[in-house]
Amino acid sequence: MTLIFNKAEKQFSDVIVFPAFDLTLTQGQTIAIHCSVNIRQQLMEILTCRSTLSAGDIKVSEKRLSKKMDLLGFLFLEGGMYERLTVGETLRFYHGLFTSGISPQHALELMQLEGRQRVKVMKLNHSEKKRLQMACILLKDPKVFILEEPDQNLDNESKRIYLHALEELQNHGKSILLLTGNLESAVTLGTKVYRLDDKGLQEMDVSEEQEEVQTEEKEVEQVSAQPIRFEKIPTRVNEKIVLFDPPEIDYIESTDGQSLLHIKGEAFPSFFTLTDLEERLLLFGFFRCHRSYIVNLQKVREVITWTKNSYSLVLDDANKTQIPLSKTKMASLKEMLGLK
Amino acid sequence: MNMSIKRINAIFQKDFKDFSRNSAVSVTILFPLIMAFIYKNMDTVTLDTYYLLFNMSFAIIATFIQCCLIAEEKEKNTLRGLMLSPASTTEILAGKSLLTFTVTVIALGLTAWIAGYEPTNMFIITAALGLSTLFYIAVGTLLGLLANSVMEASVIVLPVLGIFSFGSFGLAFAEKYPILQALEYLPSSQLIELARKVEEGAALSTVWPQFAVIAIWIAVAIAATIIVYRKRMVD
Repeated sequence: MTLIFNKAEKQFSDVIVFPAFDLTLTQGQTIAIHCSVNIRQQLMEILTCRSTLSAGDIKVSEKRLSKKMDLLGFLFLEGGMYERLTVGETLRFYHGLFTSGISPQHALELMQLEGRQRVKVMKLNHSEKKRLQMACILLKDPKVFILEEPDQNLDNESKRIYLHALEELQNHGKSILLLTGNLESAVTLGTKVYRLDDKGLQEMDVSEEQEEVQTEEKEVEQVSAQPIRFEKIPTRVNEKIVLFDPPEIDYIESTDGQSLLHIKGEAFPSFFTLTDLEERLLLFGFFRCHRSYIVNLQKVREVITWTKNSYSLVLDDANKTQIPLSKTKMASLKEMLGLK
Repeated sequence: MNMSIKRINAIFQKDFKDFSRNSAVSVTILFPLIMAFIYKNMDTVTLDTYYLLFNMSFAIIATFIQCCLIAEEKEKNTLRGLMLSPASTTEILAGKSLLTFTVTVIALGLTAWIAGYEPTNMFIITAALGLSTLFYIAVGTLLGLLANSVMEASVIVLPVLGIFSFGSFGLAFAEKYPILQALEYLPSSQLIELARKVEEGAALSTVWPQFAVIAIWIAVAIAATIIVYRKRMVD
């Protein structure tokens, strides 16, 4: 059971939306594709057969894509619901429509909507609607789930439920393809993260390496013995160079080998790699919480445990930004905080 | 139960619940009932009055509801989900048409009962009304494919009401403007003609031309629906 993109590419007259790429999604795998809104919409249209590839093809279990694909289940960002039906009625309807082996009760429990069964869909809040939408897709029982921005604007409770459900699906050998423009979401939800843009598909290195963490810890001890030096971080804004005080920085993100400093909701490209920045900022209470992220620990308000293996840090800024925290870094963070 | 019937049934039940709670649309079935009540209490009711009520019911119930059911799926972004489900387009439309048909038949029955219409040959009249309902549902499906929201649906249904429900009035001017003679072939005019013949004691053998004309209208409406559907799907 696989979903294979074979030299898939899309062009609009002269403009390349995305160049040819190969990608294989095998059983039980969760792949996140981090891409722009435009590419995401194009991919969704192609996968739902509303649009076609310029070249290459997509195969599902050796079969070409077709409109009535029982193997694929789509969660749309703008998925509509029958607003006047109750949650229970909606699920019974989809159960009758899909005639799969999954019971409405099971879907209801997995998405934790038992208490809302008799509530009309129009009375649900956005997060609950998204959970109901997912429950409907579960009833279809497809082999591959294709999720479009599944956790956009979700409350933390719903996000946790989503993560738990995705883990459950993966354990049952389902494959999941996530399309999102939010790197944090891609890193938290996906086990493998790719970036798709007009230059092609690149795998983003988010794997966790135990060894590196250990050497890092040694570094911490060494560096902390040194006296504090003057340090400002230069960034590039158009043609100018702007200096920032480390305490101003909320967090640093690395996309495409470029590190971005996030300060009060704005992103500034930096001259240095994440590893260089990490070295320079260790003294100011910065912490490499993920392969692609450095966070200012002073700004961290909360550590959220989604599941046993997945964590996020919530910052104390206006947007309550969430940053992924990898499993191995969780241990060192706990140590730094003096827990255990 | 057959899978296909199971899916049609699921769509029928869903649409029934949705329809019964959507007062903006379901309230239209009261309209012919109220009209029937008013006409009955006004003066002597002629055959033309009954059929004015029936022809109006067809447009504002069968066509309008069918049109709204389809247009709302598009408006609320739920049609995409249905199209990706194992249910075929025929099954989706069958489920919806079944609901519209049931509602229309009930409304017609109640209208006839309130107005006190008792046809001489119940069988022929029921068959003719049933056949006409199918025509108006086909028109509703066609308009539903064209309309993108319930708002549009309620506007787009007006020409149907004008042409098919009140078109037979134009026959009164047929002597002055010979072109209006064509209105005789409207399904609504044919239905009145059929009812008149039945009241005169005609049997099935003498009213078959009326049935044939209505059947041709159904065929044309279904063909137009299929053409529009194919064209819209390509877009």
